[in-house]
Amino acid sequence: MFGYVTANKPEMKMREFARYKGFYCGLCRQLHKNHGRLGQLTLTYDMTFLVLLLSSLYEPETKEWKKRCLIHPAKKQFMLTNEVTDYASDMNILLTHDHFRDDWEDEKKLSAFLGMKVFARKKKRMIKKYPRQAEAVERALSELSERERENCRDIDAAARPFGNLMAELFVWREDPFQNILRQFGFYLGKFIYMMDACMDVEQDKKNNCYNPFLDEYGEDGFAEKIHRILEGTLHMAVAEFEKLPCEQDLAILRNILYEGVWTKYERKQNHDE
Amino acid sequence: MNDPYSVLGVTRGATDREIKKAYREMSRKYHPDSYSDDSQKRWAEGKFREVQEAYNQIVDERSGKTQQNYGGYGSGQQSYSEEDQHLMAAMNYIRARRYNEAINVLNAMENRSARWYYFSSYANMGLGNNVVAVDYAKRAVEMDPGNQEYAQYYQQLQNGGSAFGGSPFGGGYGGYGGYGGYGRYGGGDSCGTGNLCCDLWCADTLCECMGGDLCACM
Repeated sequence: MFGYVTANKPEMKMREFARYKGFYCGLCRQLHKNHGRLGQLTLTYDMTFLVLLLSSLYEPETKEWKKRCLIHPAKKQFMLTNEVTDYASDMNILLTHDHFRDDWEDEKKLSAFLGMKVFARKKKRMIKKYPRQAEAVERALSELSERERENCRDIDAAARPFGNLMAELFVWREDPFQNILRQFGFYLGKFIYMMDACMDVEQDKKNNCYNPFLDEYGEDGFAEKIHRILEGTLHMAVAEFEKLPCEQDLAILRNILYEGVWTKYERKQNHDE
Repeated sequence: MNDPYSVLGVTRGATDREIKKAYREMSRKYHPDSYSDDSQKRWAEGKFREVQEAYNQIVDERSGKTQQNYGGYGSGQQSYSEEDQHLMAAMNYIRARRYNEAINVLNAMENRSARWYYFSSYANMGLGNNVVAVDYAKRAVEMDPGNQEYAQYYQQLQNGGSAFGGSPFGGGYGGYGGYGGYGRYGGGDSCGTGNLCCDLWCADTLCECMGGDLCACM
């Protein structure tokens, strides 16, 4: 994914940050354990959010570790792992392979081609284990490229496939929470897609690449319009999130949803000014 | 099915927060992870699901999913124009939550009145097209500014549709205000939320961010 769903660290308390980092390092460790060194490279903050969310909602038994790792060899790292961590690390592999293929089809990058080969085998295993999610990934990608081919300018239609994809990933267990989780994932997915399109529009215009905002880009009031659209979509996501009975790590989850998701956007805004 | 409130052990008058809390307590009690014996585990799983279902049902009820008061045409009138008939068909589809069909009917119409925009907005929202839904709701209000129904609907859309729980948009969450100034999400442009408890809580949170503590009980 894109790394937009991250925390606003300066606003976090020390112990919240420790938990957040614990889940992050835990996910990293699980990626290594389940999918090897290459799997570890796929670590993202977006997936860490999913781990936090589902852990908070289901409160599975969570192990605390103190382990050394290659990236931080000097000091033992605090890690948190549970069933959700395994699920998220599997989802990461399901997505990453396609991410590589995206890059390959878009830009013919050699690194992407190599990544594709290595992950192809792992992905086969994941498709078997998670047919519902795998199908959603497949469908979303073909719909996304269809929107691109049509040169789609309808932002709802352009963002929908990614929303649908996230909706399915958020549903870990098909239980009574699945409707709320699906709605939440759907709007957060749309938001991520729109955010990415907004961040890339300048570059895409230069490189003559597809972007749903190309027509409006450069018009008067473009920035305000995009901001309104992003806010409205996030708003929908947050309203769904607040329906869930989350208690554990609620402050971290809200930090991410209400502020963290804007950090890249704000950095760019400040930079542009 | 049992009354969802009694499953959670709360009264109908319980606040959203109390319901979340009750859910948490019950779900911890019946968490399948805390039983090792197989038959006990299965029993706990059943209970766990029942609690989940009860919670979900209450959220649906409270966020207005089940009691959508959808205004439109009175039933007492006799003659309708063709346009009215189409709009009525669309409304029936919307009531049945068949939003794709509703949109098909609407898109086939030529005359786009304020009501057309209102219905289209509603159907689009049902499909998750939140951006165009807000645009259309705004159009409906602009075309017929005196209509209370449109104005109220537009307002509701901007407030995140159906809120439940400690949604910040309802004023429950006011902790973060200091960063970037996203007024709508936090304390906002003025200092304070208009609610003493909220203000106190904000102040406490801000203090804690800096390592201090204003109220030890929060």
